[in-house]
Amino acid sequence: MPDLFAAYDTDKFYDEMFAAPGRPRPHYQRLHDRFCQMDGISELLTRQHTADQTFVNRGVTFTVYSDNKGTEKIFPFDLIPRIIPADEWARLEAGLRQRMEALNLFLADIYGPQKILKEGIVPREMVETSKNFRPELVGVPIARDLYVHINGTDLVRDQHGTYRVLEDNLRTPSGVSYVLEDRQVMKRVFPNLLRDYRVRPVETYPSDLLSLLLHLAPAHVPEPTVVLLTPGVYNSAYFEHSFLARQMGIEIVEGSDLVVENDKVYMKRTDGLSPVHVIYRRIDDDYLDPRAFNPNSLLGVPGLFDAYRKGNVALCNPIGTGVADDKAMYHYVPRMIKFYLGQDALLPNVDTFLSGDEKDMAYILANLEQLVVKSVDEAGGYGMLVGPHSTRAQIEEFRGKIIANPRKFIAQPTLGLSRCPAVCGDVIEGRHIDLRPYILNGPSIKIMPGGLTRVALRKGSLVVNSSQGGGSKDTWVLAAEDQEATPAVPEKLIV
Amino acid sequence: MLSRVANLIYWIARYLERAENTARIVEVNAQLVLDLQARQAADDPRAWEPLVFVTGSDEQFHELYGDKVTERAVVEFMLFDKRNPSSVLSCVAFARENARCIRDQLSAELWETLNTFFLRLKDDDFTRYAQLGAADYLAWIKCQTQLFHGVADAMIPRHEGWWFYDLGRHLERADNITRILDIKYFMILPGLQAVGSALDMVQWASVLRSCSGFEAFRRARRGDLDLVRVVDYLLRDEAFPRSVLYSVSEAEQCLARIGPGDGQPAVARARELIVKLREDIRSADIKAVIASGLHEYLDGLQLRIEQIHVAVQRAYITHRPAATPDQLQTQGA
Repeated sequence: MPDLFAAYDTDKFYDEMFAAPGRPRPHYQRLHDRFCQMDGISELLTRQHTADQTFVNRGVTFTVYSDNKGTEKIFPFDLIPRIIPADEWARLEAGLRQRMEALNLFLADIYGPQKILKEGIVPREMVETSKNFRPELVGVPIARDLYVHINGTDLVRDQHGTYRVLEDNLRTPSGVSYVLEDRQVMKRVFPNLLRDYRVRPVETYPSDLLSLLLHLAPAHVPEPTVVLLTPGVYNSAYFEHSFLARQMGIEIVEGSDLVVENDKVYMKRTDGLSPVHVIYRRIDDDYLDPRAFNPNSLLGVPGLFDAYRKGNVALCNPIGTGVADDKAMYHYVPRMIKFYLGQDALLPNVDTFLSGDEKDMAYILANLEQLVVKSVDEAGGYGMLVGPHSTRAQIEEFRGKIIANPRKFIAQPTLGLSRCPAVCGDVIEGRHIDLRPYILNGPSIKIMPGGLTRVALRKGSLVVNSSQGGGSKDTWVLAAEDQEATPAVPEKLIV
Repeated sequence: MLSRVANLIYWIARYLERAENTARIVEVNAQLVLDLQARQAADDPRAWEPLVFVTGSDEQFHELYGDKVTERAVVEFMLFDKRNPSSVLSCVAFARENARCIRDQLSAELWETLNTFFLRLKDDDFTRYAQLGAADYLAWIKCQTQLFHGVADAMIPRHEGWWFYDLGRHLERADNITRILDIKYFMILPGLQAVGSALDMVQWASVLRSCSGFEAFRRARRGDLDLVRVVDYLLRDEAFPRSVLYSVSEAEQCLARIGPGDGQPAVARARELIVKLREDIRSADIKAVIASGLHEYLDGLQLRIEQIHVAVQRAYITHRPAATPDQLQTQGA
């Protein structure tokens, strides 16, 4: 049999599959054997083609508008799964749970008594100068005392294989639809392997999300109406919005479908105005209500902020969570965990230097060639500098920006992100990956087993964002020996 | 259903019906010009001018193409010019944009039918039209819109969405038939004595053909092709699917199926307007209509169809209070 991995080079990185060249880690042994039974790379490519075609047929595509032809592309998908053993996942889960608890308490605190600011653990100035802080919400009660409902925490593994938190996404994290679709495709392409591995299912996510949303509805409403608010069909995540709305059986609405009267929200239906109680919004705070925030927003609903403040409608995530996922605030999360929970952080951060700090600033400016510099309030891989991969001119451009605006940047050492084998053309090569688990904070904290594994398909690239040439892999969290892979009885059926 | 979604479906139907009828209007004229050739030069501006009048866009046409009305300019303007919001290309592009916004609520086949149509149409121009020949090219357009309707008919569940689709289609058709009838008003006959002449007959036959009604007319109404009989058929026939009366009756039934809306007076208003329109057409005396001016009568029908549209929007889409009849008059005009 030809060994598909014969030429595979782990290089100097932590490799998810191989402990050393030719020596797969125990939890990858079965997959390794299965792949080596294949009829060379051609069988793998045939399966890859089947997978790609399935994505096209299922409409898991985004549309490229620039050429005006309505060309559709799929989000690249790599066939080789990322496998996480049960004990490893248990540790991750505990760390993510702890982080969600602390972040919720932090937001409750800064929109309440502000103890953490009074005690000087987090600098007051840091919170108050954040453009995502909403001082007008301080002291305003919020549904079920839940200050954040969904977090997409990005994790990476360093060269020693240690998981570290790269950032939190507390506003409108996206990508979960790809997790569900990737699994559907894998069930088709590798059904036996998936079963033999006892992979924990991810399919309950939409119903977990719906229970969370229903939990947020004003208490006096017997049959609350939940909607998903999208910026519209031209948004690059529109597929996900319509996918989740369909999975949950709720209406997908645009801002113009909603109207606020007497501080209550209604949707315009052909049979009249019909009340709305919970909005799963996929629009940033700034665009939610032109009357309260950005007056130029055409996506939002005039008056929505007042309806929200009066408790007539719940928003998921709530307004103002962005203050806690700011890349500079990230630096303080381990201290928040200590302050609120009296515990040490189970999941370490990546070392972070704040250009707002004098000592850190000096270090950053002296070491730009080795650092990754990120703008604190941008996402999607935009506005960042990867020192070792940049030209002299790019580095100098950033130097100027940092000096001009110290609050706006953080710097981190360039991590040797872990790699996982990926199908690249007609060979298998190592590519850098990260992991975004989705943490739901509703009646209880629920974490989908796994999450979105993003892979930087460009050779040598460290940027996994889909806007920058990234793709995805299915993430297999294995059931423990004493654990059922599939819960025997559905916990609760939601109609 | 969401008002926005209902409105998008309604307009998909209207745009595609309009595209089809625009193709029909061009087709009838292309045929007429062939018949005229013996008597008039084919590039006589008067041969193509009626089309521009009848769509109500003569000002825009002259702005874009100047004073000279040639076949090329009219065909470009009516079929391919995106600056003309009623051109076939514009209508199909608008319908496709609407469909894109609710793509996840349409069947995949329906979307593909429309998308394929648009992609094949979008780079065409007069040269391509002339290469294929008017008859073949226009037949293709009609075929594509009918294909879409066929797929829609076979795929869309008979819920509210369907009734909005069918309402849009029939309101648009009723309006468009009045415009096709009006073409004849603008056509030049060599002199008054030509009324009832062979040329007159040829023109009426073309009008009927453009509505696919020539054979149906022959079967239903024996006798001559003349003004009163053809107008009466296209306005008042109860069984012919492209008569105004039939289209209005269908629209009336769609409206009844849609339901009481928000229960506001706007719904009652819309229903009242459509019932009245149907009754008036049914009891119309075409001889008297012609005596007092057919063109004015057709204009009046277009205005009343527009008022029904406005009332439907108020009742189901915009949720504004029903307007008084006076306000509606201004709205419609």
